[in-house]
Amino acid sequence: MRDTARNPVALDLLQVQRNRLADRMRPPWWYLPGCAVAWAVGFTGQFSLRYLPRVDYWAVGIATVAVWGLLQWGLTRATGIQIGPRPLRVLQDGLFYYRPGRRAAIAMFVVCLAVGQVQFRLLRHGQLAAAIAAAVLGVAAEVVLQSAWLRQIRQALRDGGGTE
Amino acid sequence: MTAKPDPFIHPITRLSICGLLAAGADWVEFAALRDAAEISDSVLSKQSVMLEDAGYVEVRKGAVGRRPRTWFRLTAKGRRALEDHLAWLGQLEETVSAATRDATQGADDPENERTAPPAVPSSAD
Repeated sequence: MRDTARNPVALDLLQVQRNRLADRMRPPWWYLPGCAVAWAVGFTGQFSLRYLPRVDYWAVGIATVAVWGLLQWGLTRATGIQIGPRPLRVLQDGLFYYRPGRRAAIAMFVVCLAVGQVQFRLLRHGQLAAAIAAAVLGVAAEVVLQSAWLRQIRQALRDGGGTE
Repeated sequence: MTAKPDPFIHPITRLSICGLLAAGADWVEFAALRDAAEISDSVLSKQSVMLEDAGYVEVRKGAVGRRPRTWFRLTAKGRRALEDHLAWLGQLEETVSAATRDATQGADDPENERTAPPAVPSSAD
């Protein structure tokens, strides 16, 4: 009977602890500006494809992935919580196996493709200024979505909505 | 009652550790888990070894510079056990609430029968 009385308390305590873990999942000050840099580097891809030799196009891609990897590593180190899809699990279980923040991740992917397409068409018609504006808007949208992604993960940590 | 309790993770410390690891992170570092659960280093070390031996938790040890870092992750077995146990706790909570409600109403009517809450498994420390 003593344990029975304590069981609802155990669930309440678990909720408090999950809230504490979620509160820890706040990005450091450099994370979102760093994401802006990573996306900005990524969105220069279309410009480099048009104006630079092919080898530089791949260099841009590698630089984007490197900055992105550094940011995720830094976030994991700063918070003590490793989040987001892992490359090996993605190969095994598909791109969207990781449930927390999935909606924001899909939106980021869609925005990335859309901005790339818009830039490609604008540059084909020689509208460099409009393509730069599209890249700037794309970076802003991606940073907002990145922030939403972290918010959704914090919410998942609170609700206990883990990975499969 | 359809969900089954797991006596191994019934103690609150182990339930906390498993519940936090299942919350949505892939790996959680020692200090983050200790702070969220508000337990001491020694308690976390001891309980995590027991959970690892039972196959509920996976442990990865590494270092950042000279500082050792230990990371924890819930295994599939641990996740299944936790989900069952939490479902059982949820059902138990409902039963206790219903029993309390009946008891409150029954205070006005002495002929009402009281329903005894279900048995709780003994915790294996």
